[in-house]
Amino acid sequence: MRRWITASACLVWTTAAAAQVPGGPTGLEAVDYPWDNGTRIQLTWSLSPDDDTLLGYAVRRRLADDPQQTLIDILPPGTSAYTVPDLDPELAYLFAVTAIAQDNTESAPASTLAPVTPSVQAFDGTRLWFMVTLVLFSGAVVVFIRMARTGRDLKVRKIAGLEAVTEAVGRATEMGRSCLYVPGIQDMNDIQTIASMNVLSHVARTAAEYDAKLEVPTSKSLVMTAARETVETAFLSAGRPDAYNPDLIYYVTDEQFGFVAYAQGMMVREKPAACFYLGSFFAESLILAEMGNSIGAIQVAGTAQPAQLPFFVAACDYTLIGEEFFAASAYLSGEPDQMGSLKGQDVGKLIVAVGILAGVGGMTLAAVTGSDLIQSMVDYFTQRMLT
Amino acid sequence: MTARAYTPGLKVSARTRHRVRRILPIAGDVLVQAGDAVQARQAVAHAFMPGDVTPINMANLLSMPPTDVPDCMLKKEGDRIDVGDVLARTPGIFGLFRSEHTSTVSGTLESISAVTGQVIVRGEPLGVEVRAYLAGRVAEIVPNEGCVIEADAAFVQGIFGIGGEAFGPIRRAAADHADPLTEDRITPDMEGAVIVGGARMTEAAIERARAVGASAIVSGGIDDADIRAFLGYDLGVAITGSENVGLTLIITEGFGDIAMAQRTFDLLASLEGREAAVNGATQIRAGVMRPEIVVPLPDDAAGETAGTSDAGFLETGAPVRIIRDPHFGRIGAVGALPAELHVLESGSKARVLEVRLDSGESVIIPRANVELIEQ
Amino acid sequence: MSRIDPDRVQVILATDCGSTTTKAILIQKIDGVFRQTHRGEAPTTVEEPFADVTMGVLNAVTETQELAGRRLIDADGRIIQPASGDEGCDIYISTSSAGGGLQMMVAGVIRQMTAESAKRAALGAGAIVMDVIAANDKRRPHEQIQRIRELRPDMILVSGGVDGGTTTHVVRLAELIAPAKPRPRFGSEYTLPIIYAGNADAAPLVADVITDGFDLTVVDNLRPVLERENLGPARDAIHDLFLEHVMAHAPGYDKLIQWTDAPIMPTPGAVGNILETIARERGINVVGVDIGGATTDVFSVFDGVFNRTVSANLGMSYSISNVCAEAGMDNILRWVHIPMDARELRNRVKNKMIRPTTIPQSLEALVFEQAVAREALRLAYLQHKEFATTLKGVQRQRTVGDTFSQESSGETIVDNMALNLLVASGGVLSHAPSMRQTAMLLIDAFEPEGFTTLAKDSIFMMPHLGVLAEVHPQASVEVFERDCLIHLGAVAAAAGSGKPGQACFRYQVRGDTLEASGEMRVGDMKLYPLGLGETARVAIQPERGFDFGAGPGRAVERDVEGGTVGLILDARGRPLQVEGGVEGWVRALELYPEGSVA
Repeated sequence: MRRWITASACLVWTTAAAAQVPGGPTGLEAVDYPWDNGTRIQLTWSLSPDDDTLLGYAVRRRLADDPQQTLIDILPPGTSAYTVPDLDPELAYLFAVTAIAQDNTESAPASTLAPVTPSVQAFDGTRLWFMVTLVLFSGAVVVFIRMARTGRDLKVRKIAGLEAVTEAVGRATEMGRSCLYVPGIQDMNDIQTIASMNVLSHVARTAAEYDAKLEVPTSKSLVMTAARETVETAFLSAGRPDAYNPDLIYYVTDEQFGFVAYAQGMMVREKPAACFYLGSFFAESLILAEMGNSIGAIQVAGTAQPAQLPFFVAACDYTLIGEEFFAASAYLSGEPDQMGSLKGQDVGKLIVAVGILAGVGGMTLAAVTGSDLIQSMVDYFTQRMLT
Repeated sequence: MTARAYTPGLKVSARTRHRVRRILPIAGDVLVQAGDAVQARQAVAHAFMPGDVTPINMANLLSMPPTDVPDCMLKKEGDRIDVGDVLARTPGIFGLFRSEHTSTVSGTLESISAVTGQVIVRGEPLGVEVRAYLAGRVAEIVPNEGCVIEADAAFVQGIFGIGGEAFGPIRRAAADHADPLTEDRITPDMEGAVIVGGARMTEAAIERARAVGASAIVSGGIDDADIRAFLGYDLGVAITGSENVGLTLIITEGFGDIAMAQRTFDLLASLEGREAAVNGATQIRAGVMRPEIVVPLPDDAAGETAGTSDAGFLETGAPVRIIRDPHFGRIGAVGALPAELHVLESGSKARVLEVRLDSGESVIIPRANVELIEQ
Repeated sequence: MSRIDPDRVQVILATDCGSTTTKAILIQKIDGVFRQTHRGEAPTTVEEPFADVTMGVLNAVTETQELAGRRLIDADGRIIQPASGDEGCDIYISTSSAGGGLQMMVAGVIRQMTAESAKRAALGAGAIVMDVIAANDKRRPHEQIQRIRELRPDMILVSGGVDGGTTTHVVRLAELIAPAKPRPRFGSEYTLPIIYAGNADAAPLVADVITDGFDLTVVDNLRPVLERENLGPARDAIHDLFLEHVMAHAPGYDKLIQWTDAPIMPTPGAVGNILETIARERGINVVGVDIGGATTDVFSVFDGVFNRTVSANLGMSYSISNVCAEAGMDNILRWVHIPMDARELRNRVKNKMIRPTTIPQSLEALVFEQAVAREALRLAYLQHKEFATTLKGVQRQRTVGDTFSQESSGETIVDNMALNLLVASGGVLSHAPSMRQTAMLLIDAFEPEGFTTLAKDSIFMMPHLGVLAEVHPQASVEVFERDCLIHLGAVAAAAGSGKPGQACFRYQVRGDTLEASGEMRVGDMKLYPLGLGETARVAIQPERGFDFGAGPGRAVERDVEGGTVGLILDARGRPLQVEGGVEGWVRALELYPEGSVA
C-alpha cells in the first residue's frame, strides 16, 4: 500500500514535469574540427535553462540536401560540446541538438543554419609538441652524424673500462700469458654480440701491437666466424698480419654450461692475465668473473643485462655498464653513423632528464604553494606537451 | 794587470792558417796521402756503413714454434741473400703441404733465433764519403778515419746557420753592409754562388735564391717569422745542419733587422769571385759549433796569420758588439771596466762595462751582453 | 776507500764537476753540528786543452783552502786525508755532470709498464733518457734498430717481463740491440755497458744474444711482479757502470775516483738522493726543481715515492726558443704586465738562443724572461705529473659500491695539496733580482695548494749533500737544513674556483712579530712580512667551494715559518685563472720596481 502511494506520488511528479516541455539548448555552432583527417565536426551550444532536470541532449545530423535526420548520440546533462565523428569530407552537414526531459519529451532543437563541411588538414596540430620532441631527438642524431661525417671530432667521455684494455693486454704481455675474450653466449642476432665484435676489434688490435696471445672461445658457430673476420682485420690494420692465428678463435658448444665448463677449465690451465667478458651473459657471468678473479687476471666486463651487472662489478676490475657498452662499441668502431647516434641519443636523454626534473619540480612546487599558475603550467606540460 | 775580462767572440779573419779535420763516422779507407793538394769537392775518405736491418718473424710467417725455426732454415747465418731466395721451408706432412718463405730483401743473413723465431737480414752496406771541404793541402792522416786539411784562408764565423756544407764563388748582392737583401737583388746568374747580402734577408729573397739554384746566402740578420716561413716549422733549439732545404743560410749578427758588421762585409766583398766553402751547421751547446765561410787563398799571397782561438779578453779600446737589447747589434769600443757590481735597470746586480758607441755616446752594458770582435 | 767512523768526522770536502764550473764546499763540525763554512769555484777542465778533471777540482779546492785558511792539498797535489789539526779533511766526495752527464737508452716490453719502470730507474739514477724502446711503441723493428744506431747512448738498460713472465718479448729486445751495435760516444775501444733487469728466466737467453762488443750486467728484475717496483739494484748498477765505464773514459776521472770516499754520482742523481733523504727524515712531501739553460729537472717525493723527470728541451737559454714554441707566445705573454711587441720578442728569443750567456739588462727583458720561466716550469711540472703515477697493469679489487666510480690506474701521485716543501734552484730562480720574484715564479708555475713552504738552494749545494747522504746522512741533513736552503716563506693558497671579486676566505695570523686578519676575495694576493726563523699561526676559514686541505669550506689552522719573502696569501683559486689579474698581483707583491705597473 505504502509502496503504491510512493509510486503514485512519483507518477504525479513526473506527470507534472511532463506537462512542461524542457527549455532547449541555444546557440548551436558547428565548426570543422581542427587538425583532423576531415571526418569530424566540432559542435558547441549553450545549456538548456532546465539542464539540472534533463535526461540529456540528443545530437542529430542531416545532409544539407537531405531532410532525413539521424540521431548520432545522446549526451549526459551538462554537456555543451560534442565532436561529431565519422563524417564524409565530401559532404555538407546540418546539425540539431535537443534537450530531452526525464519523460523523453524533447525540446525545440537548436539547429545550425548553414551547412558545414568537414575539411581535411594535412597536419595534426595537437601533436605539435610530439613533433617538436621527435625533431629534437632524431634531429640531434642526424646533426651529430653529419658532424661526425664531416670529420668533426666528437668528444666522448673517457670510459675507464676502455682505457683498461691496454693495461690488461699489457699485463698479459709482461706476464707472458694469454688474453681471453668471451663475446657472450648469444648469437650474432643479439645487438650485444654485435657491439662485442667492435670491442673485440680494439682488443685484438692492442694484442697485435703488443704481440700478445688472444684466445676467443665462442658458443655459437656464427660468432666464431665473425670473430675471426674481426680479429684478422684488426691484426692487419695493426700491421701484423703474420701474427694472426685463426686457431685461437674457436667454437666450443652451444650448451650454456658446457661452454662455461670449458672456459673455466681453460682459465685454470692457462691462467690468462687479461679476461674480457663483453656481450650477453646470463648465469655464467659470476662463474666466469669469479674464476678470473681467483687467477689474478685483470678483467673487463660489459653487458646490457641488468641482472648480471652487479656480479660483474663485484668481481671484475672494470665494467661497462649497460649503455656504456654500446657507447664503447660506437666509440671504438669510430664510424660516424655510430658516433653520431651515440651523441644524438645523449642529447635525447638529456632532454628527457630535464623534462623529468622540470615536471617533478613543478608538481612539487604547485602542491606546496598551491599556485594556480604553476598548476596550469604543469597541466599544460603533462597534458599537452607530453600527450 | 789591466782590466780584462774573458768573453766569447766570433772570428772574422782576412787570412789565417785554417785546419779542418775530415773524419768518417766509422772506420774506413783514407783516399789521400799527406801532402796531397785537394779540391773542395774531392772525396778524401770513404767507408761502408753496415746496412739496414730487417727482422723477419719466421715463426709467425710459417706458423710454427720458434724452436723449429733453425731446422727449417735453408740459409745459414752469414749467407748471402737475394730477393726471391727461399729462406725457409717447413717439412710439411710426408713432404706434402710444405710452406715456405721467399725473401723480399737482399743482404746477408745475420742471425736466427730459436727463442723468438726471428731471422735478421742485414741489407747491403751503405757507402759513406767525406769530401775535402777546404781546398788545400793534406797536413795529416788519421789512419782509417780521415785526414786533416790545411790551407791559408779567409775565415768568417757566422752566429747561426741552416743547412749543411755548400760550395760556390762569392757573389755580392748588396751595395752596402746595411743594405737589406731583397728579392730584386737576386739574379738568375747567381746559380751555384754564395750570395753575400748586407742586412736582413727576406723570405722572398731566400725563395728566389733557391729558385735560381744558389748554393748559399750570407747576410747580417733574418727575421724569425721569415725563417719559420722558410723552414715550415719553428726552431726549438739551435742545433742545425741536417736540414734539407736546398740551400745553406748563414747570418753573421743575429735575428731581426740588423746590418752585417762593416768589417765582415768589406772582407767578403773583397773576396768576390773566389771559391768559398760554407757550412751552416750550428750547435749552441757545450762544444759549440758556429756556421762558417772559408775562402782558401793562394799560397803566395802575403798577409798576417792568426791563431784559431775563438775567445779573447776585454780590454779598454777593444772593439765589441752589443748582443742584447737595448742597443742590440750596436758596435763600439770598450771604455771603462769598473770592477764593482752595478745595479741594472732590471734590478739585478752584474759586472758591467762602458761601451763607447760609434755614434759617440757612451752606454753601460753588462759584461755578459757584449761580444768581442776579433781582429 | 777507507772505512769511515761517522762520530769522528770533523771536516768534509765535497766537489761537483759541472759542465762549466767545478764547485767545492767545505763542511766542518762547529759546536757539535755540521755547517757549510767555505766554498770555492773554478772552471771545469774536462775538455781540451786541459783534459784532466782533477785540475779544476784542485783549483776549486785551492780557492776553498785559501778562504778557509786550512791546508787541504799537499805538495804533491793530493787532497790531504784524514784531517789532523788544521790540515786536510776526513771525507772527500764528488759528483759529476761534465761531458753532458750520463746519457742512457732504456728498453722494456710494455711502454706503460716495465719500460716505464726502467725509465724511472734510469732517471732516478741521474741519467738523461734519450729514448725508450718498447714492444708497443708503434715503431717497426727496423725503425727501432735505426733509432738505437743513431742515438749513441753511454749505457742501455733492458728490462721486461715480470719474473716468470714473458721471455720472447725480452729476447726480441736484445735481438734489436745486438745488431744495432750502437756506437758509444767515447770511441771504438769502449764496450757499451748493458744492464739487464728483467725477467730472471730470460737472463741466460739475453746473455746468448748480447755478446761481442757489449758488457752485460745482470741484476734483479726491476719489476718482479707488476704490483711492485724494485728499482734499487738497477739504480746501483747504473751508478757502478757510470763509474767503471763512462767516467773511466772521461779525462782525469780515474784519478778522481781513487780520491773519493764514496762513488762519484751523476749530479742529478745526487740531488734526488738528498731530497729523498730529507723527505724520509722529516716525513714530508717535497718537490724540487732545477731549471737550467737547456733542461729542467723536476724531483718529487710523495708518500716516500721518489720520481725524477728531465724535460730535455725546456730551459732558459739554449732551449728558450723551444719553450716559446711549446707553450705558445700567448701563454707566455699572459704573465706580462707591460705591453710588449710579439714579433720583436720572437727575434729576441732567437737571439737569446744563439747567444745563451746574455743576461736581461732592461726591466722589460727581465719581466719577459721570467714569464718564459713560468711557462717552462709549468710545462716541466706537467710532464712530471704525467710521469709520476701509480703503477699500471695492476689487478684491482672492487665492490658493488664502485659501480659508478671506476677509477683507472696510472693516476698521478703528485698532489699539490699534500705538498709541504717546494725547493727551487737554477739560474733564473736563484739569481732573480728579488726573492719575491722567485717565490712568485714558483707559485705561478707549480700552483701549490693549501700550505706550502717555499725555499731555494742557496749555492746549489744539493748535489754535494746528496753524495754525503750516502756516507754521512746526519751531516748531510744538518747542513741541508741550516745552510743549503734559503727559506723564502710560506704560501697559503685556496683550491677551488670562483668569480673574481667573490669572497674566498677569511684569515687570522698571530705571531710574535705579525698580527693580522682580514678577508680575501677571489683574484687577490697579499704579502705579510714574516722574517727568517719567525713563525706564526694562521687560521683560515674558507668560503664554500674553497679548500685548504681540510675539505671545501672547512676551517684550517697551521703554523707557518717565515723567510726572506714572508707569508703569501693566495686567493686566486686553482686551477689558476691568469687573464686580467697579473697587474694586481705584481702590485700586491711589489714584484718589480715602482713605475713598472701602468
